Amino acid sequence: MITLGIDIGSTTSKCVLMKDGQEIIAASLRVGGLGTEGPAEALAELWEMSGLTADDVDRTIVTGYGRNKYEGADGEVSELTCHALGGRWVFPELRTLIDIGGQDAKIISLSESGRMSNFVMNDKCAAGTGRFLDVMANILRMDIDELDECASKSVKPASISSTCTVFAESEVISQLANGVARPDLVAGICESVASRVSALARRAGVVPKVCMSGGVAKNGAVRRALAKSLETDIDFDPMAQYFGAIGAALYAYRQLSK
Amino acid sequence: MIQDTIRKFHEAAASPRAQMEKYMAEGKKIVLTAPVYTPEEIIHSMGFVPMGAWGADMELNRAKEYFPAFLCSIVQSILELGIRGAYKGASAIVIPSLCDTLKTLGENWKYAVDDIKFIPMTYPQNRKPDYGIAFTKAGYERVIRDLEELGGKFDPEALKESNKVYNAHNAVMRRVDEALAVHPEITAAERSDIFRSAFFMTKEEHTALCEEFLAELGEAGADAKLGIVVSGILTDAPQLNEIFDDMGMHIVADDVAAQSRQYRTDVPEMDDPLQALAVKFANMDNCSVLYNVKKPRVQWIVDTAKARGAKGVVVVMTKFCDPEEFDYVMIKKACEAADLPLALVEVDRQMVHFEQVRTNLETFRDMLTM
Repeated sequence: MITLGIDIGSTTSKCVLMKDGQEIIAASLRVGGLGTEGPAEALAELWEMSGLTADDVDRTIVTGYGRNKYEGADGEVSELTCHALGGRWVFPELRTLIDIGGQDAKIISLSESGRMSNFVMNDKCAAGTGRFLDVMANILRMDIDELDECASKSVKPASISSTCTVFAESEVISQLANGVARPDLVAGICESVASRVSALARRAGVVPKVCMSGGVAKNGAVRRALAKSLETDIDFDPMAQYFGAIGAALYAYRQLSK
Repeated sequence: MIQDTIRKFHEAAASPRAQMEKYMAEGKKIVLTAPVYTPEEIIHSMGFVPMGAWGADMELNRAKEYFPAFLCSIVQSILELGIRGAYKGASAIVIPSLCDTLKTLGENWKYAVDDIKFIPMTYPQNRKPDYGIAFTKAGYERVIRDLEELGGKFDPEALKESNKVYNAHNAVMRRVDEALAVHPEITAAERSDIFRSAFFMTKEEHTALCEEFLAELGEAGADAKLGIVVSGILTDAPQLNEIFDDMGMHIVADDVAAQSRQYRTDVPEMDDPLQALAVKFANMDNCSVLYNVKKPRVQWIVDTAKARGAKGVVVVMTKFCDPEEFDYVMIKKACEAADLPLALVEVDRQMVHFEQVRTNLETFRDMLTM
């Protein structure tokens, strides 16, 4: 059975095609999420990569913030449920998943058997999310993907507010004016995200094995700062940004297998 | 037909201003009652119509002249409605002192809304000892004096009768709550209307309508829905109830201040009806704004959820409600200890988009069913 998972987030769209809930046939990602051409472009790329068409798919599940508006799926499922399924598929021992997306952060606890046992979501606030990093990268005139390497050169990370993106923005500008080294600023920015998210994680309870998902998972500086703050290892898989779409494809397979 | 009765609840719940104008057209005087508990029995006995003033879902603007932006949006929206003239024609508003924000509402009201008299109801922190009961009674006497200035007449015999009217309403609301626990076909939105309409109808009318509703309810049906207990101050936002219904959730019990918490305790029968009313307040419990160092409310939620067969508890937190936030930690721990799944959703009166709540409750449903 071929199942398709589509994850329409706030800033990116991800698609994953799976065979029998066991194997990833193809995965695509396009910048542009809810309300953009992103989902259609990601899907077109997926067909091109796999050589398959929509007719070959037995069931499609859509997840993410854009799930309610997407009409081409057989069903929609919350992104927390999908990230939990996807994360556990990649890391069979997974107990705590930290998902930092473009506009929010979520912590999901899994039981030993893999059932979702608890979750915590942040309120609508850019602090501690990918949006925070976007804003800061923009001030520093850097590409978001450059933050990790820049932060790795830091000697003394700057102190940046984790409470409010707007306040943090003015803090960064002040620190730049005071001549603080760019790597120290970037490291401070990443630590700020980690600080905010680790507080959220502690509310849910952190049980190893811990992994990250979502776009921010790619940022090693945030991962390292989170691991330090939570005093635990945090696993990373290159497919971390696809966990939601993988989970959606797995959910579709579960439904077909019933 | 039950749908006609449900429609009547909805019309009253959705149109408080129309209800108010109807009573004023009948020559009755309106006294507004702010959250959480006010001595409605006294107001009723002195010939006024008590009407709940729990604010409305709206953009706050004028209220911010008096409140910092982050304060409880329920309280802010009450002042906003007062300033905008939504309560025009009301004779007074009784505002209790049961939380810090309510205390500031009273003081701000005096300056912001000069055509509707502010009547304070100052409750004691320690309401159960004799001195606490005496303090409550003194507060009620102050309310009586203020209502007399508006033309009301206090008569202990009339209060005895009003106490009976309110006890009868409490009893019918408890029966409604029990009946709804086994009638999943009544939606969360309809349940909300039944409770909300009680604030905008005379208790005699509401009791009669509830009796009609109970008589029209058929046999208890099989419950294929997901039973939950809902806890919080206020859960009347239509979008919130729509999500409960979309998720196939059945509210089998509530611990909501604007719902069942209002009706748990009756006025005892005593020779002095005002003393009896003060004893009623002393006997009330299981509420975030009613001080009790032992916090029996926490176990009450767990026990009720178990007794009603709920699969989980949903705490609907009004943002910046300190009393509810203090209790939440204890509720969470008690639910965890009882192996009772719990979800927390945050709401306020200014909320326009409920996607975050939907995602939260959808995930909670998955957690309970997968």
